[in-house]
Amino acid sequence: MSRADQAEGICLVACQAVTNANADDSQAYVNQVRAEIEAEAEARRRRDPELQRREREIERVWIEVAPPGAAGDQGELLLDRADRLATIDVDVPLGAKPGIRQLKGAIRKVAYWYLRYVSDQVNALNNVLTRLLRRFDERLSVLEDAAGIADGGGLLDPIPEPDGAVAELVASILGAQTGRTVVLGCGSGVLVRPLHDAGIAVHGVDVDALVILPGVRDGLDLRAVDPGAHLAEARPGEFGSIVAAGFVEDLGPASAQRIVEQSLVAASNGTVVIVTGDPAERGIVERELRAGRGLSPATWAYLFERTGAAVELVGTPDPRFRTLVVARLS
Amino acid sequence: MSVVDLLVPELKSNDAIGAHTLLLRDLFVEQGSMVRFVAEQPSSMDEDVIVLPAWKKPGDLIVLQHGIGSQLAAAVVRRQLPVVLNYHNITPPEFVEPWDAAQVAGLRWGRAQLHQLAPFSRRAVADSRYNANELVDAGFTDVRVAPVLWNTRENDDRQTDRDTPVVLFVGRVAANKCHHDLIAAIAALRPSHPTARLLVVGSAASGSYQRALDAYAKRLGVADRVDFVGAVDDATLASYLTRASVFLCLSEHEGFCVPVVEAMAAGIPVIAYDAAVLPETVAHAGIVLGNKSPLTVATAIARVLDDPTLRKHLIDRGRLRAEDFSLANSREANRAAYDGLVTG
Repeated sequence: MSRADQAEGICLVACQAVTNANADDSQAYVNQVRAEIEAEAEARRRRDPELQRREREIERVWIEVAPPGAAGDQGELLLDRADRLATIDVDVPLGAKPGIRQLKGAIRKVAYWYLRYVSDQVNALNNVLTRLLRRFDERLSVLEDAAGIADGGGLLDPIPEPDGAVAELVASILGAQTGRTVVLGCGSGVLVRPLHDAGIAVHGVDVDALVILPGVRDGLDLRAVDPGAHLAEARPGEFGSIVAAGFVEDLGPASAQRIVEQSLVAASNGTVVIVTGDPAERGIVERELRAGRGLSPATWAYLFERTGAAVELVGTPDPRFRTLVVARLS
Repeated sequence: MSVVDLLVPELKSNDAIGAHTLLLRDLFVEQGSMVRFVAEQPSSMDEDVIVLPAWKKPGDLIVLQHGIGSQLAAAVVRRQLPVVLNYHNITPPEFVEPWDAAQVAGLRWGRAQLHQLAPFSRRAVADSRYNANELVDAGFTDVRVAPVLWNTRENDDRQTDRDTPVVLFVGRVAANKCHHDLIAAIAALRPSHPTARLLVVGSAASGSYQRALDAYAKRLGVADRVDFVGAVDDATLASYLTRASVFLCLSEHEGFCVPVVEAMAAGIPVIAYDAAVLPETVAHAGIVLGNKSPLTVATAIARVLDDPTLRKHLIDRGRLRAEDFSLANSREANRAAYDGLVTG
């Protein structure tokens, strides 16, 4: 429901034309096709490095053609461009049509000394700024490497999904909740299925278009979207409850805190359930490759309690996900 | 008899706001009101227009069409007139800034005027829920939703060529409409569908963006597959609609997007990007993609071209969805949105 619908005292006459959404089988069919398209594109990308290279090339060319700041967020390419543009060339391209060459020469000489004076200062400033940007970029890369953000996750198997018993437990916790439920990091939809079957309005998001495909084909509303971005873009009070799983095990403390803060906005009077393994129980390989990422249920509980939420730790029969964190935000 | 003043910066029949204003006039006239147009400059059309400096005594109802900063809105603010704002959205300046800094001032001004108008507005009417949310954020309290009025065209005549699929987009060439993503998609589609063409209808709102698009198509080796035909008359547009195989809209920002509805009405399957108002306007009658990486969009186009079941489904659902915005339905919605404002 939109903010316009929710805002107190607003008479929103939603006309028939706008509200006559075709919420029927067509929606499920179109959703399935969309998921298949996104999964097929991802599969082709993984299968064929040449396609991947071509796609990058298409995006890179646009960054080269567009003015700085207008295209993409590929920092390295933008920095290259900033380097090239940082130097102002005072040698104005006046062309060489005969007849007025002497006049152009005179203009060039008169203007040159002043342009040189101004451009030297601007160039010096630009050079300092671009050097500074490069230093920031290098420093950021070092920090990313240290935090394992850059590629550590790629060396590990995907985080497993909880078993059906955990999913049933989550559904029973959220059964009385009103409003839409979102499952962030939904995978193939194990956590979405019982909620959907119970008639709760629910959708799942996961960054991996291939992983969600079986669930979509099963009729679940799963979308290939980055879970963090989905939560960040949610409107205030958009969700009645939020379930976060999978991707939360790759978050450092600052990112986890951001999830808590954004949940307070997106599900302001609702319930948040965190489904996570305990980093203390990880094997040696996972512990080292996922160092600094993932918080224990106890720490999640602490972060929510600090906001004034009523937090409960609920045990489960799944040895990978022994404890659920249930935070009631109202 | 009540006097209704319809305030529109410039009254033209060939732009969406102008056409909407003319049809809104008909609605008020049918209800027994006398309607006057107030504009910043005389109209090139055969319509009587009160030019702003001559607008001394406001009518019983004032309806301001708002899609960019205007002297009309400034006059309403200055005189604190009880206005009804008809909001068509304003392109966020950040889309325009890297390309045309000169246009930014008008956009920022328009958005600032929203906040200035809110305290003494009688009501606001938005084209879409998406636009309505912006009005609520700006402080409007009585916000209603009714779509843009325009004469939908009947078109059952399809002349698509399976050997040369045409991917169509209709809209001003402006950075928020992301024509570069359309070109990228055609480049990614080329290996599987080498004969596919991109046809773009719409005037160039930004010369620098248009030049970059031309250079981009050339660099990607698809310049021969991309046609920018500029603004066209109704008959030419109708002929393009009959030939299009897919309507592709990858805009980052739209307030309603009439061309999407026109495409659905013409029986063209729609692929759109999940941004701004597009999921609301398309409403499951088209493919709404969560990302617009070139390969994903190309895969979607290929699927729509090659899967007859999907194609038929989208065409059928699109026609149904377009019917929601037919002139009769939209007039009814607008009548309800302005209900109770005109007395006598």
